[in-house]
This record gives sequence, structure tokens and C-alpha cells, in this order.
Amino acid sequence: MTALDLRDRAAPPSAAPASSRPGPAALLLRAAAALSRGLFIAVPVMLVSTFITFMLGGLTEQDPASVVLGDSATPADVQRMREAFGLDRPLLLRYVTWLWNALHGDLGASWFTKIPVAQSIAERLPVSLSVAAGALLIAVVLGGVFGTLAAVRQGGLLDRTVTVVTSVLATVPGFVAAVALITVFALIVPVLPAGGWAPPSAGLGTWASFLLLPSLALSLDAAADVARQLRTGLAGTLHENYIVGARMRGLPGRRVVLVHALRNGAGPAVAVLGMHVPRLIGGAVITETVFALPGIGELTKSAALSGDVPVVQGALLVTIAVVLVSSAIVNVLLVKLRPAARREL
Amino acid sequence: MKAITDALRTRAGAVAAIVLAAVLVLAVTGPFLAPYDALKNSADILQPPSAQHWFGTDYLGRDVLSRVLAGAPASVFTAFEAVAIGLVIGVVPGITSVYLGRAYEWITLRIMDGLIALPFLIFAIAVAALLGNAVHQAMVAVGILLAPSFYRITRAAALSHAGAQYVTAAQLFGASTWRVLRTHVWPKIVPTLVVTTANATASALLIVSSLTFLGIGVVPPEPTWGGIVAGDLGYLAQRPYGPVFPSLFIMATVGALNLLADAIRDAGGDRGRARTLMRGARRVRLT
Amino acid sequence: MSASPDFATAVRPSAGDGAGREPLLSVRGLRVSVADGTEVVHGVDLGVPRGSAAGLVGESGSGKTLTCRAVLGLLPAGVQVTGGQIAFDGAELTALPDAERARLRGTGIAAVFQDPASYLNPSITVGEQLAEVLRVKVGLGRRAARERAVELLHAMGLRRPEHVYTQYPFELSGGMLQRVLLAMAISADPELLIADEATTALDVTVQAEVLELLSELRRDRGLTLIVVSHDLAVVAQTCDTVHVFRDGAVVESGPTRRVLRAPRHPYTRQLIDAHERFGIDRVREQRRSPR
Repeated sequence: MTALDLRDRAAPPSAAPASSRPGPAALLLRAAAALSRGLFIAVPVMLVSTFITFMLGGLTEQDPASVVLGDSATPADVQRMREAFGLDRPLLLRYVTWLWNALHGDLGASWFTKIPVAQSIAERLPVSLSVAAGALLIAVVLGGVFGTLAAVRQGGLLDRTVTVVTSVLATVPGFVAAVALITVFALIVPVLPAGGWAPPSAGLGTWASFLLLPSLALSLDAAADVARQLRTGLAGTLHENYIVGARMRGLPGRRVVLVHALRNGAGPAVAVLGMHVPRLIGGAVITETVFALPGIGELTKSAALSGDVPVVQGALLVTIAVVLVSSAIVNVLLVKLRPAARREL
Repeated sequence: MKAITDALRTRAGAVAAIVLAAVLVLAVTGPFLAPYDALKNSADILQPPSAQHWFGTDYLGRDVLSRVLAGAPASVFTAFEAVAIGLVIGVVPGITSVYLGRAYEWITLRIMDGLIALPFLIFAIAVAALLGNAVHQAMVAVGILLAPSFYRITRAAALSHAGAQYVTAAQLFGASTWRVLRTHVWPKIVPTLVVTTANATASALLIVSSLTFLGIGVVPPEPTWGGIVAGDLGYLAQRPYGPVFPSLFIMATVGALNLLADAIRDAGGDRGRARTLMRGARRVRLT
Repeated sequence: MSASPDFATAVRPSAGDGAGREPLLSVRGLRVSVADGTEVVHGVDLGVPRGSAAGLVGESGSGKTLTCRAVLGLLPAGVQVTGGQIAFDGAELTALPDAERARLRGTGIAAVFQDPASYLNPSITVGEQLAEVLRVKVGLGRRAARERAVELLHAMGLRRPEHVYTQYPFELSGGMLQRVLLAMAISADPELLIADEATTALDVTVQAEVLELLSELRRDRGLTLIVVSHDLAVVAQTCDTVHVFRDGAVVESGPTRRVLRAPRHPYTRQLIDAHERFGIDRVREQRRSPR
């Protein structure tokens, strides 16, 4: 192959292109700025939602006396307990005190067990987060693979199957999915445990075996949405001229789809995934119940059912905070990934 | 209205409407159609489906078909109740936020943002449990949490039509805000609202069944679809197909509602990626 | 459906034209049909000798672009080759598996089309897309690909090639983008370059520059060219032979100068007449002798 003759122009080019785009350090700074902006906007939202949460405790007829002493509580007991817990002070004052303490890591103590709420949450948060992370991963993989395949083979059997399956999955309640998975993988074909939890310290394999089914159950809804949005987005992109252009240059099909088409067609799918992140964190209570996982959702539910107000308030606060932070992160990532948004950077 | 009738003419819309009509009939007449008393225990426990017991019997010997039919009103109407509450709480601020001044708009926006930030299911559980474990409290909680979707949709619709020239013309003619709202803006919002309501009802049904599964909002031993599944859990080994029956009813209803919503939306001419994305936002779904 | 009446009277170059060697590209009896069965290309014959420049002229819809797409193997969905042969460098293309044809693209046959911006990925810089081709088709490493990409951009006549490397497609003009696409097209050293209405969407001055660039590439590299245009002037300027398309068939072929000076087919005559009537030479004449 003969090399291309270079024209002798006035100014020969330099060896490597001088960068007129910001370097990695500047990009990181920009991302951090966007993140802080997102978090800042979340402050009023945080205030409103935490206030509603706190009001819940204020509205309830539950009081520490009956929770702790049960039916044998006399009115005098009730009054005494209320004073002891500071419940006779005005609502707004209690809210501010509570919030202030919370920012310092003090979420009060359970009316029942006297265990500090923050401690219970700290024990249980990793469980919920690992299930949520697992679900996110599975949703990305399943949704990504099937969405891409369905788009590439538009109109084919796989495409139609994916459409039907994702529509059906949208009608399945969470507990049905969980129960179905247990029935199949723990009863009929007993390969995985039907519930319970082991921390990673007990061995990664064991930890994974307890994590798999709950994550899968939690992920199905998100996976279906991602698959559907990806299929639609990609299907449109694959008809664009620049895909023809890429093929014209002789690039192999896989590369064309994965690098060129996905980059531009994955926008809606990523957006919808972002919308599911709060639900993965905040909505896992069913999964935790069915699989008997010691997570924060299960904690909140038990506390609510037994009337243990501080635990409910504290757990909800932490959940809201985690949801808001993860939403902010997802939004920043979204902006970075969306090519149209890039032009505004 | 035209969009709805158009949708009913499509195959998908017709199928959805028929299924929903069947579910409604069941919801009203279910307890009367039940062949056996849903609460009556018997000695024939954990029987598979047979000619006498189409869905078999549960761990207390109760006929499952009867329980599912008896549970229909509780499951279906409570979902309606929640949606109705959400609709009122969401639509009124949604439309009025466009017309009643900046401060009002800002306040409603922040409140709705705060509600959206609440982790849905766990919050519904907390509210229902703490405020007295009864059905109506639970439905109020669900309704409040559904309200932001209604708010956003009606607000978006009202915003897009508020600037329309015929509205300005009407105002120039001296029509009061109320009249403008009622005559011009409201009819344009109705189709979108119907779609959102259908989707919201589907979500509400899913949430209600999840709540009843957890034992919240139930009055035992009245059966509910979610509650039946919960009861079956302990006997999964003997009767692994048990949860299928009530689940199918839930899924069929939810599927029909979503199908109907899609049919109406497509018949209304709403196209485009933005709408598809909004659909995901309207369906407040959780586990 | 109706067979073009001109097809029967199509005029072909006599056996004496062209070198005695095997042509680089030889299309024989090519037929292309769309999804519902309608035939849109009715038996096209085309021979392109190595190192020559062949022009395809005709109105929109005459089948010139579809013929090129068939050669490339990139027909739109539902459109298929339903007859004939396409031989490139001795190999029969229609008999090759898809992967082989994909391999040939870029290294054997390359193309640039109209509207260069739409053929580039809007969210990747043009330099990266060029470097990508160099990495995948030529096998260069990252750094080498980047350097070579800048060299190529410079060779295509782009000033400040390092800066252009970092630009996104929407930041460049049509002329610059077409140069970028040309750089991509020749980066893997193809033997045949198809330029399909490559200059149609460009300003006239830029058009002249790009055509000049094509001629240079042909001279310096021995690149074989196929230039497709509805504009006779473009073809007249750059091509040795011209093939006139009409309604999905070739009605006349031959050396450019002969065809333009003494067209044998009525349709060709029409084309030339129209060009002369509305061409710039005519306007200049009219200006010189006011009536």
C-alpha cells in the first residue's frame, strides 16, 4: 500500500492535536459544580419532605406510653411519658430540634428498644443499598441487552417477544414477582435460598446467593422500562444517515451499534433508569419482606406497624436523603451523557 | 371525548374496555357470585383445582375462587378511592397554579416536589400504619402520593393551552377566569386527564395489593387479592401455584387499564418521545 | 413498470474505447428492485478502468445513486439487487458474505455522499471519528491514529487541522465537512472512490476546490473515481468517460469529450441543450451582445 503523498503546504501540522477542549481536571470540577447545584436545589424539597415526615409523627395518635406499656397505660402514664420524650412542646420547635439533631447524626432512640435509631439504620442501610445496587446492575444489563437486540432485529420474533414481555412485566406487582422467583428458584429448582441474608464477610459467594433473587425481583420493573425505551430510541437512531456513514467507512456492525448508535439512542433509556433509582432505594420494602432481608425498608415497616415513631421518622429521613443524593448524581451523569447537552457545556 | 370513543373502536381499546367492564361487574357482584362462603373453613385443605373448587382450596379449606371473587370489591374500589382523592388533590392545584398568581404557584410547586421526593410505598405504609391501620387512611395516603402526577400533568396541559389565542380573546371579551377555565381550558385537558387517571388507577391497584399483602388496610378475615397471596406464602411448598389466581386478576386489571390508557392516548394523536417519557413519569410504580 | 423505450436504443462505447486491461469495476446487467417488487434499475452496464474517472449523470431518480449503493452493498431497507453482476478487482461482490463486503468498504471501495454533516455522528468529534477509521481499518494505535488523522486533515486542505480535529460536526461548514469525509474515505487506501453528488450541497467556490481535490487524489494516488452528478459541468470537468442515466438504465456511454460534443442519444442531447441554454457561458454571451 503506497502512502498518501502529503501536499507541501505553508505550515506543516504539529504532531498531536492541541487541546482546545477542557482537560480532565476541569471536567471533574464542572461535574462537581453541577452536583452541588443539584444538591442545593434539593434543600427546599428536603425541608418539605422531612417536615411532612415529622408531621406524621405529630399527627399519629400513637404515643410512647401505649407503645411501651401497652394497654395497661393510665392517662397519667401517658402524660408522664409525653413529657419525658418532650412531646408536649410545640410541633415546629420539635421539628427544628429533630432536624438539627439529625444533621449531627442523632436521630433519637426507639421507643421500644431504646436502641439509637441511627445505629439501627447504619446496620441495615448496607443491606438495602446492596440490593438496590444489584437491582440497578441487573436492570442495566437485562434492559440493555434485550433493548439493543430488539432494536437491531426490528420487527423480528425477538422484538415482538420483548415488547410483549415488557408490557406484561409492567402489570406484575412486586410481591408477585418476588414470590414467583422464590417458587421457581428456591422450591421447584432449589438452587438459591428462599430468603435471609449473609454479609459479604461470610464469603462473597454466599453473599451473592442471598443477593441474587431479591435484586432480580426488584429490577424487573426497571429492566422492562429500560428495554422498552432503549428499543424505541435505538430503532430510530439506526435509521439515521450517520449509521450509514459509519457502515460506509467499513466499520464492523457491532461497533456501529455499540459505539455510534447507542451513544445517541440511549438517551431516553438512561433518563428512565434515572427515574427508577429513587424507587429502587425507597420501594424495596416488599422485596425485603418477602425475602426476609434486614433492610431499612423492613425496619420502617415494622416500626410503623408497632407505632415506634422515632424509628419511622429517622428511617424515612435517611431514605429521603439517600434518594435525593442519588437523584442528583444521576442527573449530573445524564447531562454528561446526553450529546445534545454537551453542546451547552 | 372523541378520543375515548375513537380508542374504543381500536382492537386494543375494545379488548381493554371489555376486560375492565368484566372486572367492574365482578367487583360489584363478586361476593354474590361466589359458590361458597369465602370465610368458611373446611376440612379439605390445600386441594388442587377441581370441578368443585375451580381454583382449589387454601390452607384453611376455604374455596379460593370464592375468596378471589369476594375480594374483588375491596381491591378494586379502594384503588378507585385512592385515585379519586389523588385526582382532586392534584388537579385543582394543577390548573389553578397557572392562574392564581406567582406565590401560589411557587408554593404548590414546592409542596408537590416535596411529595415526589417521598419514597412512595414505604411512606404509604408509614402513614397507613401510624394513622390507624384502616382502609380509608391508607387510601388517603396513597391518594396524596398520587396527587403530584395529576398536578404535573394538568399543570402542563393548562400551561400549554393558557397561552392559546382563543383564551386571550375570551379574556379580552371580559370572560372571568372561572369561565375561561370551564369553557376553554378544561375540555382540552380532559383527554390527557383520562389517560393519567387510567394509568393512576393501574398504579393504585398495584400499590393497594402491595399494601394488603403486607397486611395494611385490611380488616381480617375479609379477603383481598394481595392478602390472599400473603396467606398462600406459608404453604408455597404444598401449593406452589397458589398465588397465580389472585395475581392473574390483578395483572389482568392493571394490564387492561394500561392498554386503555395507551389506546386513548394514541387515538388522541399524542406522539413523540416526550410523551413516551412522560408516560413513565405518570406511572408511579413500585415494588 | 414500463420498460424505458430508450433502453433499446442505448448507445454504448465501442469495443475500441478504454484500455485492454480488465476494468477495476465491472457492472453487468444490474437490476435493483424495491420492497413491493417494482424494478427501479433495469440492467445497468458499467465499466470503470483502473485509474480513470467515470461520471454518472442523470436526473434525480434515474438510478445512479442506487447503482452506487448496490456496488457498496448499502442499499436501503427493502431494496435489493435482483439481477446482474458486480465485479470489483476480479471478485464477484454479490457472491461475497456480508462480513467480507464490510471489510472491502474503506480498504477497497470508499464513498462520499451529499450532505456531509448527516453522515457523521453528531456527538463525536470529527477527529475521533477519523481516528476511529484509522484504528479499525488500518490497525494504527491510538497515538499513531491521532497523528495520522491530523496529517490527513492537513492533506485535504484544512487549515489548522489540529483544531478541526477537536470540532464537532455542527461546528464545521459544509466544505470542511466534505474534506473530513474525504479524509475518512481515503484513509485506508481504497482503490475506488465514489463521489455521489459530493459537491451538490456546497457553495460554488468550495465546489470547485473539492473537485480539484478529487482530481489531485486521482493524480497522486492513482485513485479510480466515480463521480455522480446531475450537473454536467461537474462531470465534464473531472471525468474521462461519462455514462448517462435515465429512468433506471444507461442510455449512452463514452469518452466525455465525444459525448458532450457529439451526443448520439436524444436524451443526452436534451441534457446538453439545457445546460447550454442555462449555463453560465450562455449568460456571458448574452451580456456581451445586448439586444
